[in-house]
Amino acid sequence: MNEEYDVIVLGTGLTECILSGIMSVKGKKVLHMDRNAYYGAESASITPLEDLYKRFSLPGSPPESMGKGRDWNVDLIPKFLMANGQLVRMLLITQVTRYLDFKVVEGSFVYKKGRIYKVPSTETEALASNLMGLFEKRRFRKFLTYVAKFDEDDPTTLEGVDPKSTTMQAVYDKFSLGQDVVDFTGHALALYRTDDYLSQPCLDSIQRIKLYSESLARYGKSPYLYPLYGLGELPQGFARLSAIYGGTYMLNKPIEEIVMENGKVVGVKSEGEVRLPLELLNPNNTLLSQATKVGQVIRVICIMAHPIKDTSNANSCQIIIPQNQVNRKHDIYVCMISYAHNVAAQGKYVAIVSTTVETSDPESEIKPALDLLEPVEQKFVSLSDQYGPVDLGAESQIFISRTYDATTHFETTCDDIKDIYKRMTGTEFDFAEMERKKNDIFGDAADQ
Amino acid sequence: MDSRYDIQRRGGGGGINVSGGSVGGSPALTGAQSRRRKIPPRPADYKLQIIIIGSRGVGKTSLMERFTDDTFCEACKSTVGVDFKIKTVELRGKKIRLQIWDTAGQERFNSITSAYYRSAKGIVLVYDITKQETFDDLPKWMKMIDKYASEDAELLVVGNKLDCETDRIITRQQGERFASRISGMRFCEASAKDNFNVDEMFLKLVDDILSKMPLEVPNKALSNSILSLQPEPEVPPELPPPRMRCC
Repeated sequence: MNEEYDVIVLGTGLTECILSGIMSVKGKKVLHMDRNAYYGAESASITPLEDLYKRFSLPGSPPESMGKGRDWNVDLIPKFLMANGQLVRMLLITQVTRYLDFKVVEGSFVYKKGRIYKVPSTETEALASNLMGLFEKRRFRKFLTYVAKFDEDDPTTLEGVDPKSTTMQAVYDKFSLGQDVVDFTGHALALYRTDDYLSQPCLDSIQRIKLYSESLARYGKSPYLYPLYGLGELPQGFARLSAIYGGTYMLNKPIEEIVMENGKVVGVKSEGEVRLPLELLNPNNTLLSQATKVGQVIRVICIMAHPIKDTSNANSCQIIIPQNQVNRKHDIYVCMISYAHNVAAQGKYVAIVSTTVETSDPESEIKPALDLLEPVEQKFVSLSDQYGPVDLGAESQIFISRTYDATTHFETTCDDIKDIYKRMTGTEFDFAEMERKKNDIFGDAADQ
Repeated sequence: MDSRYDIQRRGGGGGINVSGGSVGGSPALTGAQSRRRKIPPRPADYKLQIIIIGSRGVGKTSLMERFTDDTFCEACKSTVGVDFKIKTVELRGKKIRLQIWDTAGQERFNSITSAYYRSAKGIVLVYDITKQETFDDLPKWMKMIDKYASEDAELLVVGNKLDCETDRIITRQQGERFASRISGMRFCEASAKDNFNVDEMFLKLVDDILSKMPLEVPNKALSNSILSLQPEPEVPPELPPPRMRCC
């Protein structure tokens, strides 16, 4: 069986499935393999609960209080979708939305001096918020109005600021924003995990704040969406798109070897058979010599039987613990979802704490987050090495994706997809490329 | 990118998509839709999702196409290019839009996604009466159904290719016995090629689904919080202007 393919994709993580979908829709012949029995790889949702226990080497089976194992779909990587972000755009253009249902995350909270406070999502909430003083709120509002009108191509909106050189700190100073407001804006709106952005040109920061506001404006409660049945539904949706356009799927397929000739990939060996690709898309952790370690992330999955304190019993939320509140270099995030999203048994909540590791005792680093969740019925701790590609693939035709990082949404994942696309095809990514080329819904009345 | 995509919410867990919200007033028009007649059809009372599973080559797509298009293609190979097919039927005085999903060829290497099983109200499990291995595969498919499908889904196992009686390997009794071991599972034999029993089996399945459904939508509140993603509005939303006064 020496079939020839244009692209072979290894691993069915979200990045790989989206690229597989793009390539199949473009007319390429795609073979997509995964050594696991399930889709999603590192971005999968594990089901049933028994499999999660096994994966983390917990002895025995889950207690009866955990309900039916098959009611659980537990994410390995905690992320939400920005309602106006790139991933939603990709979902809409490819119509992978046909296969998914979403809910809005109920709220976002920020940690300050030992307590959590709601990030305001309405005027009323903003007025009532204790996150900043009254006069600060006036200045903050002027700043937000400025950001909303800011258009890098229209100098009349810039008020003397140069998007490519004026630092964000300078923009904050322009509006006389105090430290409380600066911290809040940088970490709860622009979603930076460190303070490095302050000395950088302001364009990126302003775009991030705009993304937050626009996403919040879509559905109101928070800027985030979450798919029912877990994040693992996302790669499956894109895999289906790829299959409809001719992509071949093989689960339970371990790869033994990548066959190279003169620095270029010529084959992939699996269970004795060799398949021939022109290009190979590979998540970096199976080809360690061609990837470089860029850090480590700790993720702790916590199962609770109660919502988080001070969140008004939200059935989903995000909590941001800014680094300077806990004497760190990187923020700590908590993403919480529950039975309301079909990811847990009735009455159960799943909160995932994550951050970039900074010391040799990662579990202590996240204690402030774990304290917010008490009591926790069961914890699952994982340490994940983060890799980036060394070889960009021009010669070898091997394209390596980045490990999922500790950011709280998928913008960096989409940036990686666009970057890989450019490395593979030589052209800039265009969202229009993802549009389904033919009608694939048939029958009477296509007005679904 | 000025075309708009009004994305249809798929049938949420447990609830029925009653017409009005999702069908009427939809602004987007696909190419096929814009060729349609000017008077919009009466919206459906129910929308149901049905999936067809089974090993490669048993005739899943043929059964679907016989039902939705009344066609049969002898030489057609593994299905490419079909997401689902829609057929509207009238049963018990109600108009029902059936969405019949195709496997997209992912069964070829046992790689159907778990997501495929989720929203199915009816599951048609097909084997080929002339091929032993397709019958032997049935427990494997049942495992997937047990793991991922809704516990309320109606099940139907079909022995296809009745037109090849002379090459039959699996007896009717064997098929019946398999179905009888699974609570609530129906059994029949059919031929997509000769158009035997195809309409009947689908309609019976839908009838079974309907008979279990409550007349009213039970948890409308729950299904209201489930989103169908809307396309970007043409003008980006502005932040509300500052209204605060110093109090």
